[in-house]
Amino acid sequence: MGLRSFLHKITAPQPSGFAPSGDCKMIFVVNHGLKMGKGKIAAQVGHGAVLATMNAGEHKPRFLEKWLASGQKKVCVKGRDAEHLLDLQVLAESSGILTTLVRDAGHTQIPSGSLTVLALGPSADGDIDKITGELKLL
Amino acid sequence: MSSMAEEPSMVLVARKDLKMSAGKLAVQCSHAAVTCTLNAKKTHARLVERWSKAGARKICLRADDLETIQRLAGQAQAAGLVTTLVKDAGHTELPPGTITVLGIGPSPRRSIDALVSELKPY
Repeated sequence: MGLRSFLHKITAPQPSGFAPSGDCKMIFVVNHGLKMGKGKIAAQVGHGAVLATMNAGEHKPRFLEKWLASGQKKVCVKGRDAEHLLDLQVLAESSGILTTLVRDAGHTQIPSGSLTVLALGPSADGDIDKITGELKLL
Repeated sequence: MSSMAEEPSMVLVARKDLKMSAGKLAVQCSHAAVTCTLNAKKTHARLVERWSKAGARKICLRADDLETIQRLAGQAQAAGLVTTLVKDAGHTELPPGTITVLGIGPSPRRSIDALVSELKPY
């Protein structure tokens, strides 16, 4: 376990018994610096969505339930580059938002290991907007 | 080679004729991916586990129109594969209820390839 995940573990709110108040959504920050094709982006965001769902099932089951019950709202926004994605991840984790990074296996289009997508949530609309509200839609 | 053909894969077949933006397409495809995964977990738990351990292979393909997607969905169901049709809620870009993406899998690559071999990557 890295230092960051360790810090996250001891400071993040406890998953059980902590339910979101409003609607939940999942946000995908796509690394726009990579110039991926549309289909490539779709597959990468798909990875992010599935990983984030599994992640939430383990750590934030009540958020996951709420998100699934309300039509699994998802939004894609543009991130500048890998560094931008990592900065947002730190910011989100410090507010107790679940984060998932997608690294490409490098079969097509881009070098192996490239950071393609940061998935945030599922988390309450208001909380997540504080992190990504300023970013442009993809 | 046979192990490669047995390796689980997932395809997301999206409608090219709707001319969705990159973000819209990505969101619709991930609806399909999540729904397929959750459904498959109930019926094909070991397959899902193998699939995610091997990198959760996903490919986005394009279909020319709704008929193509419906035909493929029928064939995939008949072949016993996990399938999901995504209907858009209609908040942006499209009218509510529009079928946007067909998700198939995770299923053995061989059974998926048999259905979608003529489709091009999106």
